[in-house]
Amino acid sequence: MPLMRGVAIVLILLTQGVSAQPLAEARRVISADGSITEIVYALGAGDRLVGVDTTSSYPPAVRHLPKVGYLRALPLEGLLALEPDVLITTHEAAPEENLQRLERAGVPVVRFDVPRSAEDALERIRNVGAALGRERQAEALTRDLETSIGATTRARAQSGPGPGVLFLLAAGNHGVMVAGKDTAADALIQMLGARNVSAGVSGYKPANREAILATSPDAVVIAEARPGQFRIEDWPEIASLAAWREGHRYVGDSMLLLGFGPRLGEALADFSAALPPLQEAFKIRLLPQSTAHHAH
Amino acid sequence: MLIDAAGRVSQGPALVVMSGLALAVALISLASGAYPLALVDILGLLGGQDSSDPVHHMVLFEVRMPRLLLGFLAGSVLAVSGAILQGLFRNPLADPGLIGVSAGAALAAITVIVLGGTVLSGWVDLLGRWALPLAAFAGGSGTVFLAWKIARRAGQTSVATLLLAGIAINAVAGAGTGLLTFYADDSELRSLTFWTMGSLGQASWDDLVVAGPWLLLALILAPLLARPLDAFLMGEQVVGHLGYSTLAVKRGAILIAGLGVGAAVAVTGLIGFVGLVVPHVVRQLLGASHRTVIPYSALAGGTLLVAADCIARVVVAPAELPIGLMMALIGGPCFLALLLRTRMV
Repeated sequence: MPLMRGVAIVLILLTQGVSAQPLAEARRVISADGSITEIVYALGAGDRLVGVDTTSSYPPAVRHLPKVGYLRALPLEGLLALEPDVLITTHEAAPEENLQRLERAGVPVVRFDVPRSAEDALERIRNVGAALGRERQAEALTRDLETSIGATTRARAQSGPGPGVLFLLAAGNHGVMVAGKDTAADALIQMLGARNVSAGVSGYKPANREAILATSPDAVVIAEARPGQFRIEDWPEIASLAAWREGHRYVGDSMLLLGFGPRLGEALADFSAALPPLQEAFKIRLLPQSTAHHAH
Repeated sequence: MLIDAAGRVSQGPALVVMSGLALAVALISLASGAYPLALVDILGLLGGQDSSDPVHHMVLFEVRMPRLLLGFLAGSVLAVSGAILQGLFRNPLADPGLIGVSAGAALAAITVIVLGGTVLSGWVDLLGRWALPLAAFAGGSGTVFLAWKIARRAGQTSVATLLLAGIAINAVAGAGTGLLTFYADDSELRSLTFWTMGSLGQASWDDLVVAGPWLLLALILAPLLARPLDAFLMGEQVVGHLGYSTLAVKRGAILIAGLGVGAAVAVTGLIGFVGLVVPHVVRQLLGASHRTVIPYSALAGGTLLVAADCIARVVVAPAELPIGLMMALIGGPCFLALLLRTRMV
């Protein structure tokens, strides 16, 4: 084992690639991240894309582009075959070995952090703009986005704990999952001054029917990977929640809601519309307390 | 006479056909892929010619070549290990998964995938991209060693206890894997799903340098077990009467399967089916003697895995299908056809 470890370390040192500076005039771009693909289109550079990963589904024009697979299993030869000038992706991209070899083949790999706040989302748009030589468009886009985000979050600003939100993710064949803390969904909830009723769990966890009934949220938000993936008929527990019956609910596209891309403003506005108006939320929280007081 | 009365193929022609097939598949593998590379260019590059485009050179020598070699070696080792374990357990359903190699390797690999960013960040920082393969190798060979120790406890090694220990270890490792899967976030979940479906997509010379020696060692040692394993077919007592040490045979078999499969799984992820199906096919076509089954399983297993990889990387280009998936798609129907053929004879 010590010998193998030594060999391994030497090999790691040998294979560290030197990353080249991205070219602003890159004509052939591969984007391996759904939100980054959206940004590239929003900056008017969609025609430069020659390939995208399987998480890229918006705008509809991406459907005609070659798919290079999932961003955590990027194929080296498949990427090279598209003769890209640059690969833009996130730090989630893998396998590392293929990305390093891609750089050694002369294709710069630009990687961004996955944003979890409005500031980071805006910063990423500026960075993608800089990488593509579209700084001016990126500036205009971030200005608009900042305005629309600000309008929604200011309208939601309040003192005290906000309305409780049950955030569910219906994705792939994992079934329906609740979004706990440390998720993009949780970040979205906090931006709107609301409270995540599932903050007790971390990450996305399979939804427990009984636990859903116990949460009694003020609003239900469901992100689905494909339209129609969430079927309320399968979830009588959710249908029976007061929030759902009273219409404090929103079912939307998961890339729109959780992508933190150029549609973040839209996501916040749609989400916010599902929340009960501020006063009402206040009342709902007071009511059970006052009845409890009576009984006492 | 190419086919005898039992429907078996003669060895001489079989060797020619199998080697020819292996060579042909190897050439096809070098010539196929998402990147457009003309056959003329490939032959030129192989002949030592310098290409005008350095990317051509890279695609051939840094992507396809290591992929071909690693695929062939891994396929050979998986098939040979399957043959050895089927002989040892005298059970046609035995495969490397049975003694816990795959489950142990999977548990270790998934531990690194899920806890690599938190609890195990020290391990990952130290070993970088080798953190996962080394863990998988240690997990795979470690579980086999554990099964061996459990079966050895009573002073003598019972094959039945070894089998049961393997099953129990599989269950425990499976539970551990399930628990980690529960705690995994969405992207980790995707990563571990891909790992359990196997891939040659990141095969590099580094992988060959690290895993190659173990794989070669397993392949070189395996034929030594051929005669004792033939004796095993007649019962464990016969082995002793023929002058072999049953303990040495068992230890050798476990060592080869544990280290060989551990190394293969470490760099390719889980690839099922090769270990189960290939020895069966060889036995059906060439007879059950391990002196035949072991070398031909190596040849056929390597060829089959490389062939499956050729398809896996072309059908959904520029993306790739997981090789484990491809294996089951090809292997399943082949195996069924073979079963039907046997029934009819």
